Amino acid sequence: DRVHQEKLLQLSTTLYVGNLSYFTTEEQIYELFSKCGDLKRVVMGLDKFKKTPCGFCFVEYYDRVSAEDCVRFINGTRLDDRVVRTDWDAGFKEGRQYGRG
Amino acid sequence: KRRKTSESNEEIEKRLESLICRVGEKSSSSLESNLEGLAAVLEADLPNFKPQILHILVLCSYQLPEKCSIYSTLLGLLNVRNYNCGAEFIEMVYCEMKRLIVINQFNMARYILQFIGDLVNSSVVTPSSMMGLLGAFADVTKQEGVPQSRKDWFVYVLMAALPWCGSILSEKKGNEMETLFSKLHKYVSNRNKDHHKFLRVWSSDDPHPQEDYVECLYAQICKLREDGWIEDIILRPYRAFQPVLADALQHNLPQFIPPPHIAGSTVYPLPKVIFRMFDYTDCPEGPLIPGNHAIERWLIEEHLSCLTRSYKYDKKECANRLLAIPGRDKMPLNHMIIETLLGDMFRLPSSPNPQVFYMAVFIELCKIQPSMMPQVLALASDMLYERLDTMQITCIDRFVNWFAQHLSNFQFRWSWDEWSDCLTMDPAMPKPKFIREVLEKCVRLAYHQRVCEIMPSEFQALLPSNPKIEFKYAIEAGSGSSEELNADKTTAQKIISAIKNKGKDDELIVMLDVIKPHSDGSEFNVKRLEIFLQSLLFLAQKSFSHSFSALAKFHKVIKWAADGEEGKIESLRILQDVWRNHPQKIGVLVDKMLRMQIVDCSSVAKWIFSPEMASDFTRLYTWEIMHATIRKMNKHLAKLEGEMAEMRERAAVAEKKDDCDENDDMMKGFNLFAPNEDDLRMMQEKVDAASSDQKKLFLIIFQRFIMILSDHLVRSKSLGCDYKTPWFKNTIQRLGEIFLLHKDTVVKFMMTLENLLFTSDLDPHILTIFQQFSSISR
Repeated sequence: DRVHQEKLLQLSTTLYVGNLSYFTTEEQIYELFSKCGDLKRVVMGLDKFKKTPCGFCFVEYYDRVSAEDCVRFINGTRLDDRVVRTDWDAGFKEGRQYGRG
Repeated sequence: KRRKTSESNEEIEKRLESLICRVGEKSSSSLESNLEGLAAVLEADLPNFKPQILHILVLCSYQLPEKCSIYSTLLGLLNVRNYNCGAEFIEMVYCEMKRLIVINQFNMARYILQFIGDLVNSSVVTPSSMMGLLGAFADVTKQEGVPQSRKDWFVYVLMAALPWCGSILSEKKGNEMETLFSKLHKYVSNRNKDHHKFLRVWSSDDPHPQEDYVECLYAQICKLREDGWIEDIILRPYRAFQPVLADALQHNLPQFIPPPHIAGSTVYPLPKVIFRMFDYTDCPEGPLIPGNHAIERWLIEEHLSCLTRSYKYDKKECANRLLAIPGRDKMPLNHMIIETLLGDMFRLPSSPNPQVFYMAVFIELCKIQPSMMPQVLALASDMLYERLDTMQITCIDRFVNWFAQHLSNFQFRWSWDEWSDCLTMDPAMPKPKFIREVLEKCVRLAYHQRVCEIMPSEFQALLPSNPKIEFKYAIEAGSGSSEELNADKTTAQKIISAIKNKGKDDELIVMLDVIKPHSDGSEFNVKRLEIFLQSLLFLAQKSFSHSFSALAKFHKVIKWAADGEEGKIESLRILQDVWRNHPQKIGVLVDKMLRMQIVDCSSVAKWIFSPEMASDFTRLYTWEIMHATIRKMNKHLAKLEGEMAEMRERAAVAEKKDDCDENDDMMKGFNLFAPNEDDLRMMQEKVDAASSDQKKLFLIIFQRFIMILSDHLVRSKSLGCDYKTPWFKNTIQRLGEIFLLHKDTVVKFMMTLENLLFTSDLDPHILTIFQQFSSISR
């Protein structure tokens, strides 16, 4: 299963983005992350109960190379004065956008 | 050291590779003793691992060019100990150079020539045979019927090797050098330079000349020769081993026959224009920046460029390496780094690394040297701002994007007051336009209120509008509106409640079907589309995700209401009208509508050139949409072509198998799924359709450009006013940009363009753009 997971990660075009401000909007995410290539979608992480942004999101690119550039260059820069952290993700599934309340 | 007996061959190879690759990196002992030690280790391993060792050395010779002379010294030491190994190395490296030229890896081949030249210094190669090799490179300039880019490459590469081997060759082969330089002079002074205007970052030579790369290096080499080949940048470790190397037997290089030019498959590097922004007055403290024609300037730039290429995936390592280059006390390093990186960032038509790379490395540099780097970067930004009037539009766009993102990483701190000169200018001029675009990008990265707060009040006029929606059918707005509009508002409210009540596609279509067209008698029912699309976008205004799902949900209704070419263009106009305060939204939604096939690429082009877009025609977002649309078209075609090629291959394999393995059941099963003639034909039709769409798109764009530019020129002439307005300068550069940024596609249509659009009766101001482009695509 771990091997399978790793394979998924190697082909993935989805990133988990953490350490965002609760006030950062989907539009800001679009602006920053499309600097590496066309975005397929952005899923904002939401508070389980209040359904408000809670500091993370998933971004999915059309191309693998865009996602790679994002990890190399956008990771570690700032958005809304916070250092953005990106991690490879095996792919977004419905339900995962809800963070801990 | 005694080797552990358990070490496998593979482990030994790994160890050798690591030893060779690491030599010259930071170490507690001297470079000389490390080199001597490594030569001894390799000598001991040569009997068993010769091919592997030589292979690693060949790779190092061009993949680690920043350590060129370290490896040439190592080769010298090995050659003294083992003459045959020197001979074999030369044979291998020679083959590799030819191979790299044949497979279009010109940059790597270039480093091999430099390396071979340096082998003269470490007594591996004879000066006379090196002279012969350089002569063979120079003689390419006499070939006929080959593109100038081929001759340029051979000449540039030969000159680039001279800082390493020029001194020794002049000493030993003075007469031949004389001949070589007269050949160079002849070539450089008769070269065509039409490309130059097209590729320079600034149109003005004030304050710094923007030189052609071949001419500049030629001037630098000539100056180096006049100065007796003395420079103090190149590390020359072989000097320490002079007594040992003096006894070495040197090898003659085999004769070099340049691989032939193959039309259609050999792709030479594009010509370049040297980017200069600093001179000695800009860094008055500390060491002086080398002059434009000092070889030191070129050597340092080369070293820095090598590092940004080698560490292009690691911004931290890259920044650290840039700041640690040898000889850093002899130069104003921060200025040199920033000039080199900005030169790469602004390189036309495209920069060697993605734009985000430069943004990220600048941030890293500022983090490592927080007391110095931000100052130099601010100085550079200020200079770029001052020179905006003559800067190429494509470079201004890159400057806007980088600067806004840099500010967003540093709390938007900037001394805006120093740029207040733009406040009294015509807002269409490059400086105020630049500020406006930067602020718009800042709003996108942060939010409107924040940007309003950071800006001094005088800059208010340049602030972007509050990115809120403009709903035409809002009930509260315009109480005094016409009867017709009031009726439309009522209809819109009905549509809105139907959507809110989860109305189905068909119900909406029924509701919309009763809407009467505008009274102007046009055939297409704009009003129906406008009321629906406005209402839908209004309801889904909260976020991109809301808008996307609204478009997806009512895809059928939109396709029905926006049927035909006119419907597509109108949809774009309505989108722009609703979101005119929010350019990012327009861009993202156009992308979505293209992907959902609500609109197509040609309609986007037509919309951009439509009168309704005239007020936004020179804005950055408009051109971002245009280029994104073209890229999407190109990508779509490339994808289909890839699928076609793959299908053909599978068909061919199946056919072959059919011939030989008739009894193989499994193969028969496989062949059932192989594409048949019908599949192939259908696929080919798809490819052809996309290919003709692509051509149509470019023809529309160029034709519209010619129309609006010709109109402007004729009108200016008849009114007797100067045609060189900011609008004209902007538009003519956008035309050039289409050629430049999509050159690989545009070259496919050169014949059509020449015969159909860019004909000789066209105004020379427009025609010249086409001619300049032709000169770089030759």
